[in-house]
Amino acid sequence: MRDKILASPLDLDPFARDERRLGEALSRRVNADPESVERGLAQLVLTIVELLRQLMERQALRRIDGGGLSDEQVERLGTTFMELDRRMAELREQFGLTAEDLNLDLGPLGRLL
Amino acid sequence: MIALLAITDDAAPPPPPVRAVRSGGLSALCAPAVEHEVTPDALWRHEELLEELMRERAILPVRYGTLVEDDDAAARAVAERRDEFAQGLERVRGAVELALRVEQREPEPPAADVVSGRDYLRAKAARMRTARRLHERFAALARAGEVQPGRELLRAAYLVDRDAVAGFVALVERVGREHTELALLCTGPWPPYSFAEGER
Repeated sequence: MRDKILASPLDLDPFARDERRLGEALSRRVNADPESVERGLAQLVLTIVELLRQLMERQALRRIDGGGLSDEQVERLGTTFMELDRRMAELREQFGLTAEDLNLDLGPLGRLL
Repeated sequence: MIALLAITDDAAPPPPPVRAVRSGGLSALCAPAVEHEVTPDALWRHEELLEELMRERAILPVRYGTLVEDDDAAARAVAERRDEFAQGLERVRGAVELALRVEQREPEPPAADVVSGRDYLRAKAARMRTARRLHERFAALARAGEVQPGRELLRAAYLVDRDAVAGFVALVERVGREHTELALLCTGPWPPYSFAEGER
């Protein structure tokens, strides 16, 4: 990052994965590899599913904060989201994607999160 | 083709090879379009050019890689959104963008099969509250702040007065000392990339 770091932890490990992402993002932008189309499509679809999952989860959290849900309802909601989370992880693994891969810049949509 | 770099209302001529194409009190800062591969080095060169331009004037950076046909097209692009650009320049004048990312050092909450649904949601809610509180603390020192999507606990951009940058960085360091469970990374000063457009 040259001289752009103003304040950082002693070790940059928590943020180090970004360098790899930048390299990949740039090469993806320049060379669309036809053989990776399937993976790219899976990535796109899973990104949208993940966006919806996160939106629903946030909405659920707001409802819980607002009260009015019984313990049983909260437990059921939580279990559902936990299960969705687990399924997403399985699907990611199947397509060789990491959580960061589903973090496309969604432009204005990104503000919804 | 010419590359659009930024919009300004400063009348002073920019350093070559950048030129100003004027239109109604504003200027499009342009440079000859050069075919090149998009590499980290190319992005850094672009960044350095914008930083040089913003040292002397208020600028609204234009999205990297924006090309127009000729000077007429550049002038039209400015004229079409003149009021919006003029307001944008007032918004960013005298300020820079700082980027902040905060991550929890501890790994994510425990695996799904060992917690109840309620605990799972509770952990998520706590994470959201922490992020919101942090953002509010930093936004208080900024002209504007924007939370951006990301996997981190908090990823945000702040528009900070030039003479408030040191205070902002001191706050980042203070929060890092108060919360040893958090890793905070603050970078900048950047051109106001995240604040070039008004409220969407």
